[in-house]
Amino acid sequence: MAPDPNRRELDDALLAACRRGDRTALGSLYQEHKDRVYSIALHFFRGNAALASDVTQQVFLKVITEIGQFRGDAVVSTWLYRMTVNVCIDASRRRRPEVAIEGLSLGSRSGLPAGEQEGKELAERVQAAVAALPEPFRLAVLLRHFEELSYEEMAEALDCSKGTVASRLSRAHRLLAEALAPVRGWFEKKE
Amino acid sequence: MEDTHISELLAAYADGELGVEERARAEAHLAECSECRTELDAVRLGIEAVGVLPLVAAPDLIWKSIDAELARRQRRQFTTRALAIAAGLLVVAAGVWQWQRTAGPHWEVAGLPGVERVRAGEWMDTGSGAARVTIGTIGAVDVRSNSRVRMLAAKAGEQRLTLDRGEIHAKITAPPRLFFVETGAGTAIDLGCEYDLACDREGNGYLRVLQGWVSYERDGRESLVPAGASCRTRAGRVPDTPSFDDATAAFKVALEGFDANGQRLEALLSAARSKDTLTLWHLLSRAANDADRLRVFTRMLSFGPLPSGVSREAVLSLDKEALRKWREELAWTW
Repeated sequence: MAPDPNRRELDDALLAACRRGDRTALGSLYQEHKDRVYSIALHFFRGNAALASDVTQQVFLKVITEIGQFRGDAVVSTWLYRMTVNVCIDASRRRRPEVAIEGLSLGSRSGLPAGEQEGKELAERVQAAVAALPEPFRLAVLLRHFEELSYEEMAEALDCSKGTVASRLSRAHRLLAEALAPVRGWFEKKE
Repeated sequence: MEDTHISELLAAYADGELGVEERARAEAHLAECSECRTELDAVRLGIEAVGVLPLVAAPDLIWKSIDAELARRQRRQFTTRALAIAAGLLVVAAGVWQWQRTAGPHWEVAGLPGVERVRAGEWMDTGSGAARVTIGTIGAVDVRSNSRVRMLAAKAGEQRLTLDRGEIHAKITAPPRLFFVETGAGTAIDLGCEYDLACDREGNGYLRVLQGWVSYERDGRESLVPAGASCRTRAGRVPDTPSFDDATAAFKVALEGFDANGQRLEALLSAARSKDTLTLWHLLSRAANDADRLRVFTRMLSFGPLPSGVSREAVLSLDKEALRKWREELAWTW
């Protein structure tokens, strides 16, 4: 997947305004990326909403504080997701032994129609499986899914080579397939 | 089939991230390798599975927290900047203060413990001690004990101090009219000289010149005092008439009477020596009337003729140029 040239242009315009300290531009930057940053953090920390909020806040504070030093040789989004990766890893190292909060982030299943209940349950199983992946695999999977970064951009965000990105994703997806073998039928049914 | 499996490339293959040649090689391998095909199915399942993870909207509270944190940082930054500016101003003020202390207009002081320099507006009191004040590059003033002086100006064209009380000895090697000492009774103006000047708080005292000339002035009256001569100073009065220190006692007593109330002119003229034409020259302009001036003039002529170009009329009418020429001629005998 090649980087979207339109996105680069948009990032440049936004970057210039953000560098001037334009509060509206900073707000736009936040609005444009907040849900993806939050979702990556949320699924990285197995649905821990408080931690995801904290990470999201830290990422954007860092971005706003350091945007003046951004060299501009990458798109803003890649830089922003690299920060997301770093803040997630730092938070993961600092936190206490994980207490699973499965299901909390995706809302209650009670009262949903049968199909929706099933989808909810599946999402929770996938979230648990993703959360069980080793951190580098987890980050690769989440960046690819939520931000749709190319392998080249992911390599930059994850500070590794394209080959490593490909390798991590291959292994991650095989591990996920293994973990989700009991519900494999649901995906086949869906097809 | 290639010997090496392509497990590590399967995600890139499924995601369409392989180049044309790599993709062709991968497809060739997959066509022959059931193991890699099975793994590709697993990878595709993984990709599909991740696809069910929902994009979750970030809570509004996050931006509020960011906004609050930014506001807090801005306040802190403002405070830090304000403090930095204040600190900067303080440094500048300290620098100026230090510059004024060390490099600003000042005179160096020696001999008085704890006092290294005196600056414009500052007083210096010697108490029981004494000090030598270096007046720029033009000379020095020794300030005797129990004296109080104040520096008024220290610049290229003017060095000026006040002698409030006490005694100073000044030795100046500069062009005339650069060094001034003010007292309560008048101003001593250096004309290139060495002299002693003493006075009390009201200005009563004396000026004694050791070398060169000093002009002592007040309210437009000037006493020109050469080396070997002195001049009394009195509070609230124009300068007394200068006289040589080696004048006879009779002459000095008579002069004191004249300066005090205009009396004893006859005794003064009678006791005058040739050298005392210094005093008589000053009396030409201080005589109470034309008759007294004529008597002084006549006595002065008894010691020598008028210089060429100076007329009797010009002198008696107090022509400044005539008086100057005659004084310069007389000064050879002083």
